[in-house]
Amino acid sequence: MLEINNLSATIDGKKILKNFDLEIKPGEVHAIMGPNGSGKSTLANVLSGRKGYEIDGKVYYEGKDLLEIPIEERAQKGIFLAFQYPTEIPGVNTNNFLKTSLNTVRKFRGLKELDSLEFLKLVKEKSKNLKIQEKILSRQLNVGFSGGEKKKNEILQMTILEPKLVILDETDSGLDIDALRIVSDGVNSLRNKNRSFLIITHYQRLLDYIKPDFVHVLVNGKIVKTGSSDLAQELEKDGYEGVEAAR
Amino acid sequence: MNLNFEDFQKSNVNLKELNNIRVKNFKKFATQGFPTKKQEHWKYTDLKNIIYNNFKNLQIFKNEEISKYDKKLLIKDFEHNKIILLNGRFIESDFSFEDKKKITIKSLKNAFNDKKDFEKIKEYFTDDQNSMISLNHALVSDGIILEIDENYSFTEPLIIYNFFDKASDNKIINNKVFITLGNKSRLSLVDFYKCENNIKYFNNTIHNYTINKNAILKKFNINATLDNSYNYNSTKVKSYSDSIFENFLLSLGPNLIKNEIHCNLLENYSSCFINGVMFLNGDQHHELKTNVNHKYENCKSSQIIKSALLDESSGTYQGKIYVDKSAQKTNGYQLSKALILSEKSEFNSKPELEIYADDVKCSHGSTTGNIDENSVFYLMSRGLSKDKANKMIVEGFLNEAIETITEPNIKLLITRLFNERISETKL
Repeated sequence: MLEINNLSATIDGKKILKNFDLEIKPGEVHAIMGPNGSGKSTLANVLSGRKGYEIDGKVYYEGKDLLEIPIEERAQKGIFLAFQYPTEIPGVNTNNFLKTSLNTVRKFRGLKELDSLEFLKLVKEKSKNLKIQEKILSRQLNVGFSGGEKKKNEILQMTILEPKLVILDETDSGLDIDALRIVSDGVNSLRNKNRSFLIITHYQRLLDYIKPDFVHVLVNGKIVKTGSSDLAQELEKDGYEGVEAAR
Repeated sequence: MNLNFEDFQKSNVNLKELNNIRVKNFKKFATQGFPTKKQEHWKYTDLKNIIYNNFKNLQIFKNEEISKYDKKLLIKDFEHNKIILLNGRFIESDFSFEDKKKITIKSLKNAFNDKKDFEKIKEYFTDDQNSMISLNHALVSDGIILEIDENYSFTEPLIIYNFFDKASDNKIINNKVFITLGNKSRLSLVDFYKCENNIKYFNNTIHNYTINKNAILKKFNINATLDNSYNYNSTKVKSYSDSIFENFLLSLGPNLIKNEIHCNLLENYSSCFINGVMFLNGDQHHELKTNVNHKYENCKSSQIIKSALLDESSGTYQGKIYVDKSAQKTNGYQLSKALILSEKSEFNSKPELEIYADDVKCSHGSTTGNIDENSVFYLMSRGLSKDKANKMIVEGFLNEAIETITEPNIKLLITRLFNERISETKL
C-alpha cells in the first residue's frame, strides 16, 4: 500500500525527516509515536502534499510515485489525512463542501455522483453511527467548532469518503474521553483487510482504543524502535528518553 | 472632448427655468471638466483619464432616436412589476401585480414641460462641487418620477430595467430617477442593468429617494453580466422617522462603475443598511462610495462590503459615517473585506468616521488580503481541484454579504446571477 524509502524532508534549511523508512501493507494499522519536534507532523504533511518542503527519497503508494501525484489526486486515489488542526473556512457550508468532496472522489472512482437527497441520507446514517450531531453540518466549515467537534468532523469525512489509506495526525490531542471514543469507534468501524491506517500520536492513550499492528518510535526524524502494541505501554512508563537510553 | 451643448439645446426646448439651469450647469461643467484624481472624492477613479482612454469622440445622446427593447432580456421565472428605460429613456411601465391607483409614474421628459411637475423636482437641481452632477443637470434627457401612496405595500418587487442598445454606442446618457415612498408604504426595487454586446457608452445617472415615515425601501443594484459600459451613479436618500432603507449592490459586470450613495437619516429611528459584493476580473474598475449622515438621534446604519479581485482589476470602497452633534444614540457599523487574487489586482479602502456627538456607538473595520493557503490545501486534500477550492473559498467569502439580503426571492435571483458569473470565471 505505502512504501517509504530513505525519505528526507527539509524546511527552512532544517532537516526534519532523516532517511526515514516505513512500509505499510493493506489492512495494517501502524502507529507512530514520538516526542515534540521529532517529525511526526512533517511526515503527515509530506504524504498529503503540503508545499514548502524540500524532499529527498521515494514514496510509493500502490506502486506509484506518490510525490509526483498532485494533492487533489492523492485524495481522489484514496489517501485521507485527518488534520491536527482542521482549517476554519468562513462562508463554506460543511454539507456543501462534503458533498462536493464526495462526488469528486466518486467521479474519480467511476461511481455515480450522489444527488442532494442521497447525500443527506448517507450523511444522516454516518453521523448517527458516530453520534455526531447533524446540526454542525449545516454550519460553516469548522468555524466556531470546538476542538472535539473539529476532530469528529474529520472522522465523519473519513467515513464518508471511504479512503484506502488513512493518516491520523494527532487526532487524539485535545479530546476528552467521550470524543476519543467516538473517534476511535469511527476508525475501528472502518478497519478491514484492504484499508490501512497510519496513526500519528503523542500519547499512548488513543492506542488503548485502537489496537495497532505495529508501533514505531520516531525520534529526531528517524524510526528508532519498532514493536507490537506493547511498545506503546512501555513508552508510557519509561518515556521517550527511556527508549533512547536503551539504545 | 467636445460635447455639443448647443446642438443638444436645440432638440431639448423645455421650461425656461430648466433651460436656464441647463445653461448654468453646462458652463460649470465646461470650466471644471470631468473629475480627475486630483479631487479627493475621485482619487481612486480618474474619470477624465478613463474617458480619454476609452472614448475617442464621446457624443451627447440624442433623445429622438427611438428604438424597441428586446423582450428576451426580461428576467424570467420571477414575478415582478417593471419599468423599462432604454438608453435612459422611459419606455413603459407595468404594474400588473399592484393596485395602480396607489402608484403614480411619470416620464421626466414630460415633467420638463409641465410647470407643476417641474416645481416638485426643481429643488433637486442643486449646485454641486461634483462636475458629474452639473453635467447631469445640464444634459438630463429623461427618467422617471415614481410616487407610492401612503400605506401601500407592493405585492411583488419592481424591476427598473436599464437597457442600452446600439443607439447608445459612444454616447453619454444622462438621466434621473425620483422615487417617493409615502408614509408606511413598502417597495422592493431592483435596478437592473443590461446592454447589447460590444456597446460602449457612458451612463451618468442621479437617483433621488424620499422615504417617508415608517416606509421601507429595499433597493438592489444588479450589474451582473460582463459588458463594455461605463457608469456613474449618484443616489441621494432622505430618510424620515422609523423608515428603513436597505441597499444591496451586486457589482460584477461593467468595465467601470462608480456608485455613490448618500443617505441622510433626518429623523428619529430611521435606519440605513448598505451591503454589497464586488467580484472583478480583466481590467474592470469598480468603486463604491457611501456617505451616511446621521442627522438625528437614535438612528442606525451599517455597511458590509465584500470584494474579490482577479487579473488587473481594481476595486475601491470609500465609506464615510458622519454623526451630527445632535445625533445622540447613533449606532453605526462598517466593514469592508477584500481578497486580492492576483498580483496585479488592487483594492483601495478608505473608511472615515466623523463624529460630533458624544453618546454614540460606531465601529469600522477594513481588511485586504490574499486567499488563505491553508484553506486551499484543506479543500484540495479532500479531492477538490485548485480552481474548485479557490471558487468555494471565494464564494463563501462573498456569500457573507449576500446572506444579508432580507428578500428571499431577490436573494435567490442574486445568488443565481452571482453563481453564473463565478462559474464562468477561472480562479
